[in-house]
Amino acid sequence: MSLARVAAIAGRIFTQFRRDHRTLALILVVPIVVMSLVGYLLSERREPVNIGYVNADRGGETFIGPINLGMSIDGVLRKQPGITVQPYASADAAEAAVRSGEIVGAVLVPDDLTERVLAREPALLGLLLRGIEPVSDNTVRLALRRALAALAERLAETIGDGAPGQPVTIEETTVLAEPGLATIDYYGPSFIVAFAFFFTFLLTSVSFLRERATGTIERLTASPATRLEVVVGYLSGFLFFALIQSLVILGYSVWVLNMRVAGPIGLALLVLGVLVVGVVNLGIALSFFARNELQVVQFIPLVFLPQVLLAGLIWPVETLHPVLRTLAQVFPLTHALAALRTVMIGGGGLADIQDRLLVLLAFAAAMIALGAAALQKQKA
Amino acid sequence: MADAVLVSGLVRTFGPVRALNGLDLTVRGGEILGLLGPNGSGKTTLIRVIAGLLRPTAGSVVVLERRLPDRRVAARIGYMTQSAALYEDLTPRENLIFFGRLYGLTRADATRRAAALVDRVALSEKADAPVHQLSGGMRQRTNLACALIHQPDLLLLDEPTVGIDPRNRRSLWDHFYELHQGGATILLSTHIMDEVERCHRVAMIEQGQIIAAGTPEELRRGVGAATIEEAYLAFSGGAVGSGGTVPSAAGGPVR
Repeated sequence: MSLARVAAIAGRIFTQFRRDHRTLALILVVPIVVMSLVGYLLSERREPVNIGYVNADRGGETFIGPINLGMSIDGVLRKQPGITVQPYASADAAEAAVRSGEIVGAVLVPDDLTERVLAREPALLGLLLRGIEPVSDNTVRLALRRALAALAERLAETIGDGAPGQPVTIEETTVLAEPGLATIDYYGPSFIVAFAFFFTFLLTSVSFLRERATGTIERLTASPATRLEVVVGYLSGFLFFALIQSLVILGYSVWVLNMRVAGPIGLALLVLGVLVVGVVNLGIALSFFARNELQVVQFIPLVFLPQVLLAGLIWPVETLHPVLRTLAQVFPLTHALAALRTVMIGGGGLADIQDRLLVLLAFAAAMIALGAAALQKQKA
Repeated sequence: MADAVLVSGLVRTFGPVRALNGLDLTVRGGEILGLLGPNGSGKTTLIRVIAGLLRPTAGSVVVLERRLPDRRVAARIGYMTQSAALYEDLTPRENLIFFGRLYGLTRADATRRAAALVDRVALSEKADAPVHQLSGGMRQRTNLACALIHQPDLLLLDEPTVGIDPRNRRSLWDHFYELHQGGATILLSTHIMDEVERCHRVAMIEQGQIIAAGTPEELRRGVGAATIEEAYLAFSGGAVGSGGTVPSAAGGPVR
């Protein structure tokens, strides 16, 4: 082995990187951005989720005076980390708020809670959860359990032996999906949208880059074809394969991995289809800013990782810092995932996801415009 | 016949670089004009401006009697890029049909013309093999054929014979003459001195300006040179040495 040759090769790489400022920036900046996000997401500094509280408890009498366990639980619950509590007048109002996304869950206190506890009879506490997103569901569950434990301790201290021996049973109801889903059902939609995005982006950007490398794009732009014709032509060509790919991802998830699809599967495919239209054009537009395949690959962490971290795939969008939450709203993955969860887990129909679909369509239109603008830049 | 290309005062800058620096040029209808100049003299930039791929920074460009930018011109121009800009996974025939359809031919018309062109540029044997299997000469002939599929009135050929062996170069030139006979105007760039002898007229370009133009004969005679190469050296030396006063070749006005 000749050390001189090894040094020559290593030296050449060093020189190339030093000149390629974009690569250098990506190497240094992207890990910092991504690690900062991960550090934040894994910390306790995330925003609390909103839950509702419906207290119908009539209260009861003890030897130390009147008590209302419903009010006591409310008080302890408010001190739990990770949640904020809003009062609601009725269970129906709370359920409507869960459906609209105002709150992620609600605690329903029945009118006879205190009476039953004091009478040492089994008592039930209602818990409404969305059922389509496990992280915030668990946050609410945990907060309620902690609150009840704290309360039991306090009761034992204040009323001693008179404290209720019978623990309160929590009765869970899921508003948007059936209860007791498997992990794969919860996280399936996350993986499906992530893979559809990733593979489509890779497929489009690399193929389109090849067009530029061979110089055929020069011929296209010299021809009478308009920019819109070129971009829409590309879109149609790539879309066919991107859709086949989405169909494979979705079909495999559903029929081989037995992932749950509560709603119409055609609607799930529509969500992916609309997502993929936008991503195809994103790939085209970005490949104009790249000089070679390497740079396209370098765009992946920049374009893809923040979406994986912030679009709600693992950490709920509601628990993000307001700035990041706003940022997540411009990510197509956020809306595609929310729509896909609604359809696959929640069994929702077109009416339930139409807003998300509109956002995805707007994204697709914006990317077509960006692609056409990038083509103009190529020509200028 | 009217002038095919009329360029006046053309300036094109790329950042601080002035690739074209007040360039004037006329390409007469039906002629083969050779654009002769060293690498980096502005040949490709000029061709790309005429093809509508680059916008002028200043000056005016009239192509086929339309002032650019004008999209209608694009359909009447055939543009052959320096390196073979072809789809490697498609066959020459498929490449031809594709570009034909981009220029508005119906599939049937494009197929018919592709068949004729494949014969004409002697590609019949490999017409249905993917381009990546073709030799350099065959690629370049396919590249030329792609620029011809829509029967353009003006052909822009950017160094069409670079990297081509003498036999293939000769066959390409046979095609150029054939096209000229059919009434097409050809503007081709080259840095190969003896190649311009085959052109009707030659425009010498240096540092983004035309330093001399005329028939090869006129250019040689104008400076008393035996070869075009000598003439070129005389003109380029003269342009630098005498502070820009360029001896205009008789009969071929430098415009």
